[in-house]
Amino acid sequence: MSDDLKTSGSGLVGGLFGTGTPTFLTTKVDFVVNWARRNSLWPMPFGTACCAIEMMASAASDQDLARFGMERMAFSPRQADVLICAGRVPYKLAPVLRRIWDQMPQPKWCVSMGACASSGGVFDVYSMVQGIDTIIPVDVYVPGCPPRPEGLIYGLMMIQEKVRGESLTRHAEHRFEDPDQAGRPEADDEEVRALSGPFGNSTRQEESAGLVSEGGPATPRPLIP
Amino acid sequence: MTKKTIEYEVSRTPELGMDFRPTEGVLSAAELPEPDFGSENMLINIGPQHPATHGVLRLVLELDGETVVRCVPHIGYLHSSFEKLGEYRDWNQIVPLTDRMDYLAPLIYNCVYVMAVEKMMGVTVTERCKVVRVICMELDRVFSHLLWLGTWAIDVGAFTPFLYAFQERERVYRLHDAFTGARITTSATRVGGMMADIPDGWAEGVRQFADTLPNTLDEVETLLSTNGIHLGRTQGVGVISGEDAINSGLSGPNLRASGVPYDLRKDRPYYDYETYDFEVPIGEHGDCYDRYLVRMEEMRQSCSLLHQALDRLPDGPINVDDPRVVLPSKTDCMNDMESMIHHFKLVMEGVKAPEGESYFAVEGSKGELGMYVVSDGGSKPVRWRVRPPSFVNLSAISKLVEGGLLADVIVVNASLDIVLGEIDR
Amino acid sequence: MTELVQSEPEGVGAHPTVPALREAFGDSILRHEVVAGDEHVVFVEPLRIVEILRWLKETPAHLYDFLSDVTAVDYGGGRPIQVVYQLYSIQHRWALRIKAELPISELEIDSVVPLWDAANWLEREVFDMFGVTFRGHPDLRRILMPETYAEGHPLRKDFPLRGRFTRAEQTRRALSREPKDYYIPADLEAGGEPQLVRWQETPEGPSEESNDR
Repeated sequence: MSDDLKTSGSGLVGGLFGTGTPTFLTTKVDFVVNWARRNSLWPMPFGTACCAIEMMASAASDQDLARFGMERMAFSPRQADVLICAGRVPYKLAPVLRRIWDQMPQPKWCVSMGACASSGGVFDVYSMVQGIDTIIPVDVYVPGCPPRPEGLIYGLMMIQEKVRGESLTRHAEHRFEDPDQAGRPEADDEEVRALSGPFGNSTRQEESAGLVSEGGPATPRPLIP
Repeated sequence: MTKKTIEYEVSRTPELGMDFRPTEGVLSAAELPEPDFGSENMLINIGPQHPATHGVLRLVLELDGETVVRCVPHIGYLHSSFEKLGEYRDWNQIVPLTDRMDYLAPLIYNCVYVMAVEKMMGVTVTERCKVVRVICMELDRVFSHLLWLGTWAIDVGAFTPFLYAFQERERVYRLHDAFTGARITTSATRVGGMMADIPDGWAEGVRQFADTLPNTLDEVETLLSTNGIHLGRTQGVGVISGEDAINSGLSGPNLRASGVPYDLRKDRPYYDYETYDFEVPIGEHGDCYDRYLVRMEEMRQSCSLLHQALDRLPDGPINVDDPRVVLPSKTDCMNDMESMIHHFKLVMEGVKAPEGESYFAVEGSKGELGMYVVSDGGSKPVRWRVRPPSFVNLSAISKLVEGGLLADVIVVNASLDIVLGEIDR
Repeated sequence: MTELVQSEPEGVGAHPTVPALREAFGDSILRHEVVAGDEHVVFVEPLRIVEILRWLKETPAHLYDFLSDVTAVDYGGGRPIQVVYQLYSIQHRWALRIKAELPISELEIDSVVPLWDAANWLEREVFDMFGVTFRGHPDLRRILMPETYAEGHPLRKDFPLRGRFTRAEQTRRALSREPKDYYIPADLEAGGEPQLVRWQETPEGPSEESNDR
C-alpha cells in the first residue's frame, strides 16, 4: 500500500473509476447512504412454520437468495437490518418476536412473510396473533400460503425500493421508537380490534357454534389471583 | 416378512479421516478426575428462536461444566390449535389444515387424514386412488427425509449436503406443483379420492426422480458416511436401547435405529403394502449415526417403492362412485338440475359422516402417524386428534442428552427429526 | 358411537384380549364396542385404570407394550369426558383402545407414567387442553399454552374458538408476561436467577437493552 502511495504522490490512487489521477464524485448524502444501506441488507430469519421452509428454499441452491450479493443471513438480531417473520406467530411467541425486534439496531425494516404472519391466515383461533403488525411495525407484506421463494425475493427488493426513497433528515422522525415502548404492543386496543375482528368464514363459525352472541368479543375476566 | 439389518460399511474405528473419539487407554473428558472448584451449575436457555432448534423449540439446560445435568424442553411456541379449529370445519375442509401441520411431508398428512375418515365412513377407494396415494406418501417420505438430511448436515457442521438436499427437494417441489398447484401446502386429497387425477407426464417425472435420487444420495454418503468428524460427532451419541425406546413411545426411524423392527407398512399393512417388495432397515446401536443410516436407507427403499407403484398404476377412475362423498362432474352440474342441487348441498353442508369413530395409523416420515376422528353424525367432527410422532419422539430428548455434552444436544435434536408444527399443533 | 352392547359384538373376529380382560377384571370392564369395522374399544372403570393397563402391558399372552396415544374426547353438553388410551402390541400385532369415562365435575384419573414414559407429555397435553388431572404425574403443568394462561382449557366444548378475552386483552397479556414466567420453579432453583436484564420500567430509565437509535 505504501508503495502505491509513494509513487502517486497525490495521496489517493485509483478512485472509484480506474487508476491514475484522483477522481471525485459528487452526489447527495442521502443517495450514498441509501445506496450503502440497500445493498447490504442483512436479514434476520425469524422462521416458525411452513414459510420458514420456503425461506430455506430461497436461500438454498435453486433460488439462491445470495446471488444479489447483498444478503447475509444474520442469526443474531444485533447484527441484522431486516426481520423476516416467516410463519405463524402464537401469543406464546409474541413476546419473543417483540424482543427480537427491540434488540435489532436502527435502521431496521420488517418483512411479514405469508398469510399467517400478515393477518393470522386461517388460524382465527384463541392462540394466534392476528397479524404481527399488532406487535411490531411491518414494512412489506408478502402474501401467499406460503409465498413462493420468488415472492420473498420480490419482498426484499421492495424493501430496497423503500430504502431508496428514504431521506436521512426524515428517517429519524419516521423511524423513531420510544425506548419506553419496548416490549409493548405496536397497536393500541382499538387498532387490534379493527385488525383482528372476525370476518368471512370466521364469523360463520362463531355463529354456527352458538358461542358468541353478537359477533363481539367476550368480556375480559379478572386475572387469576 | 423380510427385514434387513444394516451392515456397517465403515468400522467403528474408521481409517479414513481423523478419529476424534477417545480411544482405549485415554481417559475421555467425562472420566477425567475433575478438581473441585466449588462451582455451581449453570442454566442455559436455547431457543425458542435459535437456528439449530428446527423451529421454535426451547430447551433449558442445566450444565455442570460442559456436561448436561438436566434438560427441560419447553414447547408450545407454535401452538396453532389445529384440533380446535378442526371442530369448526367440514370433513373436507380439514384437509388444508393437515398439510400446514407437518409442512415437511404434507401429502402423507393429507392421505392419512382422509384414510381415517374413509375408514369411519366405510368408504373404499378405487384401486387407482390407492396406488396414487402410495406414490404420494413415498414421495413425501423422501421429501421429508431430504430436509432432515440437509439440516442434520448443517447441525453436525457440514454445509454442502444441505445444498444437495435442497436441489433434490426442488424437484419434488416441482412435482407437487404440477400435481396440486402448490409447492408445500398441497391439500391434494378429498374424502373418497383425490382432488384431481394425476396430470399427464407426472408419473414419468416421478420415475425420473426415483431413478436419479440414489445417485445424489451416493454423493452425499461419500461426504458423510465415512467422514471422521461426522463419525466422531454421531457414533455413540444419544444412545437409547430398544426397550427404553418402546417405553418412551419412539416410533419410525428413531425406534428402528434402536433395533426394534416396528414399521406399520409391514406390521399393520394398509393399501396393499404387503404386496410391495421392500425392506425395513434396522439399526443396531440406537445412536445418532444409526438414525442417520436408517433414514438414508429408507430413502433408497422409497425410491424402489415408487418404481413398483408406478409400474402397477392401474387405469380407471380416481374417485369412488359414491354420491354421498364425491362431487358430481362439472358437465353434469351445468346440464342437470339434480346434479347441481347435489353439488350445492355437498359444498354447503359438507360430507356427512355417520356416528362413530376411527383411529387410523400409517408409517409417516417421522413415525407412527395416527388420526383419531370422532363423529356424532354431523358434517363436522366432534374430535379430530392427531397422534403426533414428533411430539412423542421429542419427549424422550431429556433422556437422550442428559449426561452428554452440550454440543451433543444439537446433534441429538437433529437426529430425532422433529417438526414443530406438528409437535405444537 | 355405535350401538352399545353388553355382550360380545357379533359379525367380526373376536378380539383375543377382551375375553381374558373380562375374566381377569370382571365388573371393572364396563362394555366392549367394535367401531369402524375392526377397532375394539373397551370401556373400563376409571379407578382401576393403572391396574388394568399394567395387566395388559405385562401379561405375557398380551404384551401391549407400545402406548401409541393418550387423549381425551369431550362430547359437550355436560356429558362425561372420555380419556382414550391407544395400545399396541408389537409382538402380537394387536391393537386395542381403552376408554375411561370421567364425569365433568370430577376430572381425575391415575397417571400411567409409571408404566410408560411416553405418557408423560401426552397426559400433560390432556391436562392442558381438557383439564383432566392425572394423579401421581411427576410434572403436571401446562405444556402447549403458557403457564399463566388464564382462559381455561381450550379443547373443552364450552371454550369459544377465539378465546375468552378480547384480542386486545390477549395481546396485552402476551406481551406483558414477565421473563421469569418462562422458567419453571425447578429451573430457577437450579441456576439461580436467569440472566435476563429487566428491560421495562427500570427506575433509572431504559436499560441497556433498549433500542440503539
